[in-house]
Amino acid sequence: MDDLFIAQTKSTPNILFEPQKAKLSIEGQSYPENAFKFYEPIFVWMDEYLAQLKEDAVLEIYFHMPYINTSSSKCMMMLFEKLEEAHEAGKTVNIRWYYDQDNEIALDCAEEFKEDLTVPFEIIPLADEATKDGQ
Amino acid sequence: MDNSRPIASSGKRLGLYDNGTIRVVFFACCIIVLAVVLTSSISYSITKNAMVDKLKNRDMPYLVQSMKEKIDGRIERARETSLLLAKDQAVLAWVSSGGQDYAAGKMAQAKLSDIGKNYDYAKSFLASAAANQYWTEDANTVLDLSRNNPLDAWFYNALQSGQKVSLNIDYDRIYKSTFVYVNVLAGDVCQPVGVAGVALSLKDIAKEFSTDKFGENSNLWLVDNQGQIHLADNLEYIGRSVSEFLPADVIQQILGDMDNAKPKVLEYKDSQGQTMDLAYQSTVTTDWKLVFQIPRQESISILDSIKINAMIASVITILLMVFIFYFISYKIANPFKRALALAEEMENQVKLRTHELAEKNQNIMDSIDYAKRLQEAVLPSPNEWTAICRDYFVLWRPRDTVGGDFYWIRSLNATDSLIVLGDCTGHGVPGALMTMLVHSILNNMADNFESAGQMLEELNRRVQATLHRKAENKVSDDGLDVAICYIKDRRLEFAGAKIPLYIKRDGQVHVLKGDNRSIGYRRSKIDMDVSCHFWDIEAGDSLYLTTDGYIDQNGGTKDYPMGRKAFVECIAKMAPDTSLRQQQASFEHTLKAYMGAEPQRDDITVIGLAFQ
Repeated sequence: MDDLFIAQTKSTPNILFEPQKAKLSIEGQSYPENAFKFYEPIFVWMDEYLAQLKEDAVLEIYFHMPYINTSSSKCMMMLFEKLEEAHEAGKTVNIRWYYDQDNEIALDCAEEFKEDLTVPFEIIPLADEATKDGQ
Repeated sequence: MDNSRPIASSGKRLGLYDNGTIRVVFFACCIIVLAVVLTSSISYSITKNAMVDKLKNRDMPYLVQSMKEKIDGRIERARETSLLLAKDQAVLAWVSSGGQDYAAGKMAQAKLSDIGKNYDYAKSFLASAAANQYWTEDANTVLDLSRNNPLDAWFYNALQSGQKVSLNIDYDRIYKSTFVYVNVLAGDVCQPVGVAGVALSLKDIAKEFSTDKFGENSNLWLVDNQGQIHLADNLEYIGRSVSEFLPADVIQQILGDMDNAKPKVLEYKDSQGQTMDLAYQSTVTTDWKLVFQIPRQESISILDSIKINAMIASVITILLMVFIFYFISYKIANPFKRALALAEEMENQVKLRTHELAEKNQNIMDSIDYAKRLQEAVLPSPNEWTAICRDYFVLWRPRDTVGGDFYWIRSLNATDSLIVLGDCTGHGVPGALMTMLVHSILNNMADNFESAGQMLEELNRRVQATLHRKAENKVSDDGLDVAICYIKDRRLEFAGAKIPLYIKRDGQVHVLKGDNRSIGYRRSKIDMDVSCHFWDIEAGDSLYLTTDGYIDQNGGTKDYPMGRKAFVECIAKMAPDTSLRQQQASFEHTLKAYMGAEPQRDDITVIGLAFQ
């Protein structure tokens, strides 16, 4: 399957899904005018990807999103639900949510997501100015 | 719109040559004309000077010199022939015998007729002093000479002159023509026996003059020392005086010049003011002078053709240059102008589009402005606020003209009231549409509810029922965050869906968090259970509600959202007696300081209330 790459803009995050490495990442703020329009192709890709994912695959997903507006968070939730389904179907899915430790909104947001999910969801604070390189 | 048409026509409309191009071509042509005229004038003047110089220093002297040599040569030959004739023994014998020596006479006669007929002389003659007789090449002609006949004076003068050779010009009665006679004394110069000689026809010499004619109006004269013209290329002048044709000072200069072995040239102005060039030279064999005269205008008449040629060349050059300029500028101007025309056309199109867009935008903005009036119209008035609380402020700041934030209040009776703050998903027009929907639902529910919690549950149901009637429409999933405060006498009942209630009492900020779920979404449970929170209001309590627009606003050094903590701190730092109006200013100031130059990210609503 081909990679999915959507370059970052001021109001949309950087999307980089690399199926060969089983590594997906979403980085950046998300508050597009029309969140559903932005996330729809990502949903489509994700559906396709999860459908062909092998049982023994270990999917690593990273998030680093300083701000998500309400409608984007609904979309994120829909994305998480897809991962949740995969998890329930016995596939290994690890979600890691990075946030800058001073950014309480990002933490609140992550906690809200985590509350609703059973899929492994790790919330990891990043020290000042630290980046999430090297994971 | 057909794009090709205006672009194609723009070339014609603009024209490939504007005034600037034509001006440049005209200017260039003027310079060329000037250059050509200047060059022509200079070369004309140089050529003219050279021609005049050549005329004066070479052509005229050469002409006069060669003509002089011709005349001299001819007379010299005539003189030599005459000398030979005079020395001839037969002639001498015959002449001295006065025609009596028959044998000598025969030989002399033969010689005479040989010279007269076979050589280039008009005639040959012999005259005997002894016989006073005159013979010519024609053996039949014998004239008697007499001292008393003036016509015969030349003979007696010659005999007495003591000069071996003398010339005279005379009219011949037999030939009825004027001749130059070369008279040579036969025998001893002191005691001559007769005169022998040849005659040259003036007409013959004049023929030479005319064959060498230099110009149409030039004159070649042979002038004697009295100024009489003896020979001229034009026979009309023969016998006339040069004084008829030349100014006196010029004549004086010519005739008075004794040192004239070489040709001399002078110029003068004639009676008509024309410049004339004149050359003269003395002949060697006679004391006559050759005078050649030509109008300057004629000598340099060849320059007229040069002048005409130069003018034609100038015109051709100018035409050529104009053509080349035109051609080059066409080649250069064409693509350049087309690019310009295209750029202008595109600019016009952009202007047109911009104008259209501006118009459309204006229409949309007008429409939204009107929507804003509607949205504002449903928001509570100050009177409604003061009916339910002692003091209040509302910071309502939609990100766009209209927004998804709304607040709704209802005074149920003197002591009871409802206060609702909501944040519908999205902002702008879709958000505003949602607020109108929720507003209407709240109005419907206001008279029939049990508790804040129950009202929230019911609101969830109704919004879901309204928005998600079509199960297949999965694209839209909208809902809202909401806080409902039901004040029943002094007891406050709070139910929140992602909007907490902040209460300040005695400098402490208390938070009634409410539930952490939005309502109305497809995912929201239709039968969700909402918890109620209670608070007994005391005098001095301040209540605050805010949508996430305030706390999510980005800014600061790291461009993070401002955060809930900052909001709580803002409440906490208010002095106890700060009026709500001042508090609003403080919230606004905090927000402004944090967001700096960043644009507002979401609709912002903050409500503050104070009770008795």
